[in-house]
Amino acid sequence: MSEVERLERLAERLRAVDSVMASPGAKIRGWNLVLAAVEQSATVRSRTHSVRRLVLAAVAAAVLLVAGAVAASADSLPDSALYPLKGVLENVRGALAFSPSDQFAYHLDLAQTRLTEAQAMIARHRLDLASRALTGLDEQLDDAALVVRAEKQSDPVLGASLENRLSQAIAVHDQQLAGLQGQVTNPAAVRAITEARDRAAHALQVADNPASSTGHAKSSDSPSGDGKGQGTSSPRPAANR
Amino acid sequence: MRPLGKAASDDDRPLIERVRRGDQDAARTLYERYFDRIYNYVYARLGRVEDAEDLAIDTMTRSLTRLDLFHEQGVAFSSWVYRIAHNATIDHYRRHGKVRLVPLEYATLPPSPDPSELAVEQLSNEDLRAALRDLTDEQQQVLILRFFQDLTAAQAADIMGKSVGAVQALQHRALDSLERALQGRTNP
Repeated sequence: MSEVERLERLAERLRAVDSVMASPGAKIRGWNLVLAAVEQSATVRSRTHSVRRLVLAAVAAAVLLVAGAVAASADSLPDSALYPLKGVLENVRGALAFSPSDQFAYHLDLAQTRLTEAQAMIARHRLDLASRALTGLDEQLDDAALVVRAEKQSDPVLGASLENRLSQAIAVHDQQLAGLQGQVTNPAAVRAITEARDRAAHALQVADNPASSTGHAKSSDSPSGDGKGQGTSSPRPAANR
Repeated sequence: MRPLGKAASDDDRPLIERVRRGDQDAARTLYERYFDRIYNYVYARLGRVEDAEDLAIDTMTRSLTRLDLFHEQGVAFSSWVYRIAHNATIDHYRRHGKVRLVPLEYATLPPSPDPSELAVEQLSNEDLRAALRDLTDEQQQVLILRFFQDLTAAQAADIMGKSVGAVQALQHRALDSLERALQGRTNP
């Protein structure tokens, strides 16, 4: 008999060996132990998932809270606790305005924001905060004027266009300030508005005259007080009303 | 024992997912599907009922509670269960001072006066089982998987982490060694 035949015979004999089965008692005992382990494993997994879900919920709540605060700060007023956050966001926005046109639009937008804040503070009889907002308004107009002046030297066509827009914006602001001035009786408020109108008119001169300076010091209370203004203490002519 | 076809491995997948979600019925189905096989495998390796019961239970417990590890292995569930059983057997040998991890080329084979004289049909099951346990670890494993468990060469290869060709060559050498071991027992 060849080796292959012998080994095949042996293999067949191995296949014929009876299977050995575990006793029913052992199988039941085994299942009880397995079941207990599976249940414990599922409990541990469930507990782990619960902790993970809790952490995720906390993170989501924190994100929503921050996002909500940021969104709410956009419309906050100087007497709000969120007002400092508004300044941070405005500075970020200013840092992302790269082209002269964008910077100009940014300053005009903030000027309008400061004017709105001033109106609200006067309505709430917070003259100190209204005065700061009016100062912020003039700072933004001056910064816009500096952009116009720089552009008139490098790109006269764009500079002229921006100057025209600045002039229109100042006229609109002056009308709004005049309306506001007519509504107040407090002498301090009247004086603050008058000064603001004077300083706003001065911004056009800054844009017109290369030798002129903005003449204001940056207000640290303005939310976007980023120190961009080149303020000196040169006197300003009164607005022609 | 019913052959463990490829279909069984495919059927395991939905059950495994259910067990992961804590489904006890699915765990019971997998337990019933594999317990007897694993018991049979471990008994063939150890030859002691009590040890085989303990190791089979331990293997099934590990298999059904560490399914997160199973997904990282990239093998069929059946192969994974057999691997756990094999490792449990090796651990058992180590704990009891009976390590038989002798590579084939160093395996000591009993002398054979004339292999053709061996009357295979007259051998008892216990003779065969006892002679099998004289073989090397891999030789035992391949013969048990192929002939006691009735697995294909491909299934045995998946369990042992070898190619099909390597399993077939190992099987041939293992049968040859078993024949010599049986002759050594019947002709001392």
